[in-house]
Amino acid sequence: MSRFFATGSDSESEESSSAEEITPKATGTAFNKNLLLSDDEEDTKRVVRSAKDKRFEELTNLIKTIRNAMKIRDMAKCLEEFEQLCRAFLKSKAIVDKEGVPPFYIRLLADLEDYLNQLWEDKEGKKKMNKNNAKALSSLRQKIRKYNRDFETEIANYKENPEQSAEEEEEKEEAESGSYSESEDDGEGVTAKSFMKKKPAAEPAPEASKFLKGAADDESESDDDDDDEIWGSDSTDSGSESEDNEGNAASLALAFLKKLRRSKRKERAEEEAEEEGLEQEGGEWEKVKGGVPLVKEKPKMFAKGTEINIPVVVKKLNEILQARGKKGTDRAAQIELLHALAAISEENNLGQGIMVKIKFNIIASLYDYNPNLATFMKPDMWKKCLDCIDELLDILFENSNIFIGENIAEDSESLAVSDQPFRVRGCILTLVERMDEEFTKIMQNTDPHSQEYVDNLKDEGRVCNIIDRLLQYLENKGSTEEVCRVYLRRIMHTYYKFDYKTHRRCMGIQGESKSEQDQEESEGEDSAIIMDRLCKFIYAKDRTDRIRTCAILCHIYHHALHSRWYQARDLMLMSHLQDNIQHADPPVQILYNRTMVQLGICAFRQGMIKDAHNALLDIQSSGRAKELLGQGLLMRNMQERNAEQEKIEKRRQVPFHMHINLELLECVYLVSAMLLEIPYMAAHEFDARRRMISKQFHHQLRVGERQPLLGPPESMREHVVAASKAMKMGDWRTCHSFIINEKMNSKVWDLFPEAQRVREMLVRKIQEESLRTYLFTYSSVYDSISMETLAEMFQLELPTVHSIISKMIINEELMASLDQPTQTVVMHRTEPTSLQNMALQLAEKLGGLVENNERVFDLKQGVYGSYFNRDQKGGYQQKQGYQRDQKGGYQQKQGYRGGYRSQNQSSY
Amino acid sequence: MTVYLWTSHVKHIVLSRMQVVMKIIKHYQEEGQGSEVVQGVLLGLVVEDRLEITNCFPFPQHTEDDADFDEVQYQMEMMRSLRHVNIDHLHVGWYQSTFYGSFVSRALLDSQFSYQHAIEESVVLIYDPIKTAQGSLSLKAYRLTPKLMEICKEKDFSTEGLKKASVGYENMFEEVPIVIRNSHLINVLLWELEDKSTVADKHELLNLSSGSHLEKCLQMLMDRVDEMSQDIVKYNNYSRSLSKQQQQKHQYVQRRQQENAQRQSRGEPPLPEEDLTKLFKPPQAPPRMDSLLIAGQINTYCQTVKEFTSQNLGKLFMAEALQGQGS
Repeated sequence: MSRFFATGSDSESEESSSAEEITPKATGTAFNKNLLLSDDEEDTKRVVRSAKDKRFEELTNLIKTIRNAMKIRDMAKCLEEFEQLCRAFLKSKAIVDKEGVPPFYIRLLADLEDYLNQLWEDKEGKKKMNKNNAKALSSLRQKIRKYNRDFETEIANYKENPEQSAEEEEEKEEAESGSYSESEDDGEGVTAKSFMKKKPAAEPAPEASKFLKGAADDESESDDDDDDEIWGSDSTDSGSESEDNEGNAASLALAFLKKLRRSKRKERAEEEAEEEGLEQEGGEWEKVKGGVPLVKEKPKMFAKGTEINIPVVVKKLNEILQARGKKGTDRAAQIELLHALAAISEENNLGQGIMVKIKFNIIASLYDYNPNLATFMKPDMWKKCLDCIDELLDILFENSNIFIGENIAEDSESLAVSDQPFRVRGCILTLVERMDEEFTKIMQNTDPHSQEYVDNLKDEGRVCNIIDRLLQYLENKGSTEEVCRVYLRRIMHTYYKFDYKTHRRCMGIQGESKSEQDQEESEGEDSAIIMDRLCKFIYAKDRTDRIRTCAILCHIYHHALHSRWYQARDLMLMSHLQDNIQHADPPVQILYNRTMVQLGICAFRQGMIKDAHNALLDIQSSGRAKELLGQGLLMRNMQERNAEQEKIEKRRQVPFHMHINLELLECVYLVSAMLLEIPYMAAHEFDARRRMISKQFHHQLRVGERQPLLGPPESMREHVVAASKAMKMGDWRTCHSFIINEKMNSKVWDLFPEAQRVREMLVRKIQEESLRTYLFTYSSVYDSISMETLAEMFQLELPTVHSIISKMIINEELMASLDQPTQTVVMHRTEPTSLQNMALQLAEKLGGLVENNERVFDLKQGVYGSYFNRDQKGGYQQKQGYQRDQKGGYQQKQGYRGGYRSQNQSSY
Repeated sequence: MTVYLWTSHVKHIVLSRMQVVMKIIKHYQEEGQGSEVVQGVLLGLVVEDRLEITNCFPFPQHTEDDADFDEVQYQMEMMRSLRHVNIDHLHVGWYQSTFYGSFVSRALLDSQFSYQHAIEESVVLIYDPIKTAQGSLSLKAYRLTPKLMEICKEKDFSTEGLKKASVGYENMFEEVPIVIRNSHLINVLLWELEDKSTVADKHELLNLSSGSHLEKCLQMLMDRVDEMSQDIVKYNNYSRSLSKQQQQKHQYVQRRQQENAQRQSRGEPPLPEEDLTKLFKPPQAPPRMDSLLIAGQINTYCQTVKEFTSQNLGKLFMAEALQGQGS
């Protein structure tokens, strides 16, 4: 067929060729043609056509911008657009394969190359060009060269008869002028078509015939209905209305035709809109595809006299919501509108169902008010939001016949007042959760040392209240999953608060003091009981791992906060969280860290120094406690992370009122380290390979030692270091005075709820550990020592001293025995003296030296003769080996010579 | 007193006159503390095969403030002044105090070398104040062996060089026997003093408490051993990399030979010989002098400890015997 076209059209006029073009189609899709004329068919046609035309439209648009850029010599723009064009072309490859390379594409490629070459030659102009443009020019030139290689023949063809293509262009321009003004869509359709029409004219070009062939193939196979239809419609249009279509004018006429049809369609649409009775809103909606905000003036909600009923309101609501998220929509106005709608619906007594629905949407749009996730709500918005949720909950409580749920479909809602319960789509839980998050965000973004923070914090009560109410509501109506979620929210608001009332009751103090308010606040059950109830429910019912993990951690935290050490520890160990916490998401890890720290502090209060140290070691040893607890970002990392990461990290921060005092944490850690490390150091003074229990503590000690002048301690760390030094000498009184004094009380110890008890425990510990240190350090001085003296020295009871010493003896830390009748400790002196220790060390070192030396010998084997005459025999052997090597080398040489000779012989 | 030294031609040193010894001791007592070292110049003359040291003067202590202090200038001035008062002014060496016998160091080697290089017979006197305080005067004279002089002259401290010269830590320094000779008058005075001194004055010698001294020695010995270990490790690494390179070199040469053989069989000219040393730069050999010095120092420590312990053992046996008698 292509052959036929290629040869035939050469001689024939354009008109005839176009006529011919139609004929085969007409035969194939005769019945189609008639159908196409009907209205509905036209619609489908529009849709279908887009497959190809959309691509071509994209291409032509890009080409247009490139041409514009060429005109103003904006190379950068050109390059950018060209890249896009290549991509677009690649995308439309399927169509191009079918249709052939569109000539407008080729034309652009050719023109662009010429243009670029011209620019390239123009040295003067190039110099004037700014750097960006020059760069773009060179890269574009290279690109297009490479790219054009694929289209060499096409371009060559184009260059052969440019006048024809110029004509084409002209005509295209015309077409564009006609069509672009109206809508891109149409214009595109025309250009694409116009070029098709032109095809036969450009017949001599082989690629044109190729293209035609492709089209013809499609037609003959009729596998692509879209194409057929397009072609069909075109031909019918041109056939029926524009008889005078001749040559190039044809497409122009076509364009007009198109336009006509378009406008007609639009009119029809408008009519339809009017019919809808909704004051053209809907119609307008369809026409203005985003851009102009839909609802500019609020008073015009409903036309006068419109009967306000539920469907109308719903429709209006949907209408308002449709503008949501659109660019240029005034979000504040939208909220206002929704409020107005709520008022109207209330006025007209439309029932609670619709109210709930509107409320849901109001809250949602309140959340939407901030387009950015990072920014927080403004106070007035926040207040509004709280009010709204409160009201919503009020309605829900009053009307138990309202069902709400996420999975109620939009169309299965029943909002009308009837016997049936209301069914409203929406999820109150999600809204409340979002509210809670907003609250956290507000707290994160408020300066914690300002009055504002206090004011904001007062809302915490309301938030808790709402959560409580929701909890009640969901306990009756919600699914277990929802209950779990709301429980977790409740837990999150409870776990970090110290329950003063219960504490007071436990302590048996019925005093009227400043915590009166606290008592009022935490009315109802003990927080411990609440926590227990909520957490246990979650343990039993929750199926998502995350909620359970959080609940466990909060539970542990709460136990630890209230000094229920064993419960907390057991829960931590039973949950096996330590094993897999590193797989959790960062917020949960932060919670875990907080829990561990609280656990450690709890252990310290209970006098479990070792446990306290172990719990705090991980957090404290990293030196990033602040970061790990989510209580602030470290400056050090500032360069390493980019702004995005920083934002994310900021979002993870714990609000200030939930912070754990870092100085307290460090002090607890250092004091526990001191109580463990000092006796250990004393016991292993001569051990060459002793390990440190706490690196950080050693670091602090070293810092203290490095000080050129030691003044009285100022900071908490200095206090601990000074105390450690005193303890090293077994001087518990000084140590005590350094650890517990005015400064330390105000800095650290008074932060504990049971400060006095903790202090007593600490004194006790200091006395005991000092005694141990004293015995380790000075046992070599004594032959025997009376326990009574020791008890007096360290102000401990005799049995305690007895038990401590016995323990040391059992653990083989102290080589001594107890003499019961005289109550004395008799030293055994099995400890090596320092000289012996040193000798042992020396021996060890010498061992290492010998080993190293032997290694040197090993290496020397076979390489050198013996250097040290000590190893006579070995050296001799080595020498022999060396000689052997030499001999071998000699032989080899001989062999080589022989080879050489033979070679010589052969060559001669 | 005079000190005679035996050297290549000087067989022994005669410290003539008590004055020299007393001056050295006084110098240390006044200026040296703890591990600080005092130094001074020895004056004297060579008589037949003896080096007679007849006088000395100390170097003033350096402080940070007078950095521009010219030692040589000072020496010259001092010697000129001495000449004016008609005292022996020939430079024959120098003296130095030591802390627990640690004196074998690079600094000592260098300065002794420069002395010996300029004045062949010069020696270094090492005075150990701690041993002296325990009751036995410790004064030793050392000089570099000719072999070591040779090496130092060539500045060849590589393994090879040391091997060729067969210098070990044992024969780096040679000790020269010292004879202290007093005038008769002083001898008379000494006898008189001895007569007058009570038994208690000599108890110093019988002191049994040896712990701290030994500990100190061990500690320093340990430090040196550590250094030695490090040195050995360094050397080990060096020789390993050297042997590796040797192997590579060997392989390269073989490959080249094979290639050449092939080329020749094809009638092409052989590849040009390339400079192998350029291709394979030998790794930097660690200087061996330091480890030799350390070894020498360790040796000295060992000698000290040995001496000390044997003395102490003797004392202990004596004490035991005395106790047995007493009980």
